[in-house]
Amino acid sequence: MSEIKKIIKGCLAGSRRDQELLYRRHAAKLYTVCLQYSGNDEEARDILQEGFIKIFENLHHYKHEGSFEGWMRRITVNTALEKFRTRPSLYRVDDIDTIQEPDAEPDNQDYAGLEANDLLEIIRELPTKYRMVFNLYAIEGYSHKEIGEMINISEGTSKSNLSRARVILQRRVGSYTGIKKKVANG
Amino acid sequence: MDEKGANIDLLFRNGLKDFEVLPPPGLWNGIHSAIKVKTRPIIYLRAAAVVTVLLTMSFLAYRWSREMSLGPAGSVIAFNVPASSPVIYNPIDNTQYLPEKKNNMVKSSSNVLLETEYNSAINEEIETIAPPEQIFNIPETKSLYLIKNETISDLELKPLNSSKGNPIMILYPDLQYPPVNTVVKPVNKWSIEALASPTYYSTFTSGSDQLTSQLPSTEKPLFSYSGGVGFSYKISKRFSIQSGIYYSSLGQRVDGIYSFSGFQKYNESKGGPSFVVPTTSGTVYTINPDVYLTDYGSGKVIAAYTNDAFDPNKANLQYISNSLTQNLSYLELPVIVRYKVIDKMIGINIIGGLSYNLLVSNSAYTMKDGTKYSIGDTKGLNPLALSSSLGMGMEYNLSDKLSLNLEPTFRYYLNPFSVTTGSFIHPYSFGIFSGVSYKF
Repeated sequence: MSEIKKIIKGCLAGSRRDQELLYRRHAAKLYTVCLQYSGNDEEARDILQEGFIKIFENLHHYKHEGSFEGWMRRITVNTALEKFRTRPSLYRVDDIDTIQEPDAEPDNQDYAGLEANDLLEIIRELPTKYRMVFNLYAIEGYSHKEIGEMINISEGTSKSNLSRARVILQRRVGSYTGIKKKVANG
Repeated sequence: MDEKGANIDLLFRNGLKDFEVLPPPGLWNGIHSAIKVKTRPIIYLRAAAVVTVLLTMSFLAYRWSREMSLGPAGSVIAFNVPASSPVIYNPIDNTQYLPEKKNNMVKSSSNVLLETEYNSAINEEIETIAPPEQIFNIPETKSLYLIKNETISDLELKPLNSSKGNPIMILYPDLQYPPVNTVVKPVNKWSIEALASPTYYSTFTSGSDQLTSQLPSTEKPLFSYSGGVGFSYKISKRFSIQSGIYYSSLGQRVDGIYSFSGFQKYNESKGGPSFVVPTTSGTVYTINPDVYLTDYGSGKVIAAYTNDAFDPNKANLQYISNSLTQNLSYLELPVIVRYKVIDKMIGINIIGGLSYNLLVSNSAYTMKDGTKYSIGDTKGLNPLALSSSLGMGMEYNLSDKLSLNLEPTFRYYLNPFSVTTGSFIHPYSFGIFSGVSYKF
């Protein structure tokens, strides 16, 4: 029996030791997901806490088919989306059906020197409506149709928000790399 | 646009793929308390079952004690009634009288009527304070006697069988009660005792998983001890019930855990307990941020990062020890029943019962040159453990009140100290308790 299966079995038997082992092994990874989807640390903590509670409550549904980490990640993302759906005043997604091309885009960007920490910071600076769509499309790999169903927007709005998110990200990445180069050159 | 978009997507997807940020410490407590609520009903059910068993035992012991103390309903030793001749009376069927001729048995106005059937049950002894020639022992028997106030050589004991098995009361007109020359001296029902013992502590372990097979081989029991004060109540000649409060300290050494000091400057970025060591008695978490633990790849230490991410030797950490010690302290509240097999100058008892064990402290540390380095503590321990005891007590009576006790006792913990999945790990201990007891 693999180690993760033993831990899952222990969690199902109510073993606090195994529950904590599961948490300690995966909390950092899932907390990063929470940070990607949230605008502030407090919200990220709430998502992680609620996500893990759901993971433990639904552990008996996991059939050891597919990646366990992927299963936990989906629960965490869904928890983040639930918060998004239940707080529309804070997370309203503009229902724009027309895609407007940005005015200008930086060309031939050199992404060297950007660290994961920088990328996380950049993604968290996105407006919530763009951050959600970008995360679901670019990171999780959902289609615009699926994203529309998940957060109750049209497919066109999803495409529009993704496009805007990309432009903002490209600009921020450009400015980050520029600053880093200046710092490196003294 | 699409190509650029795909590039930026890939940049973020790949860049964040293996990135991890440790959550703030303390978050687990909130999660655990939330999921713990779901398991509470089971815990309550178990606790209720234990309480019910103990209450039932206590009630039965109380009832038994009452019945033994009172004897059969209506039994009376004697009455002093203003009649001229003795009357034998059956309280169950008061129409049944002994034949008139039985009166002839009583010849003296100062005869003493004694019923010894239940004397042993209520643990009373009769002691005469009359002149030596009148001192006699009352034999234990289930018959009724008329004892004449004569010298021992003249003493006649004549049994009168009860009718239909019912106890008989005899009303004797000239009887003085209590008899002028007789003192009823109660036996000491209560006793207090102080006992202490070194104990051997270990675990019964079975299970098919790897953890179960690995853990006990690296764990060695340490010197443990137990002691305290108890009191007992004699509910019959042979049975007594005992309780009290005892303190017990249990410990074990876990080998193969290498500890170093000087880790604090590296530990600041880790957040929360940095090292976890599962054992059969629970899971040890480091609290001291200055201690670094490693197992050099044997899998006993779980860290937030892999073993090869940090080398304590290259970092010039100071080596402390290659083992850690767990210490658990319990307050024990026993309910013990004793059965006296031999009641002589050296008495032998069989002892059995249940005990509540309340966890009062736990610590994990490592030692170097006699100096103790605190590591942390053991989490996930059951705050209340239920143990069963079985033993044999030897009692040497120094006097009527004082005795020396020696009690080899085996104790088995019905619920494990902590839950380990896929395993059957139940602690047990064996100790030879010695001490003194005082009866009053």
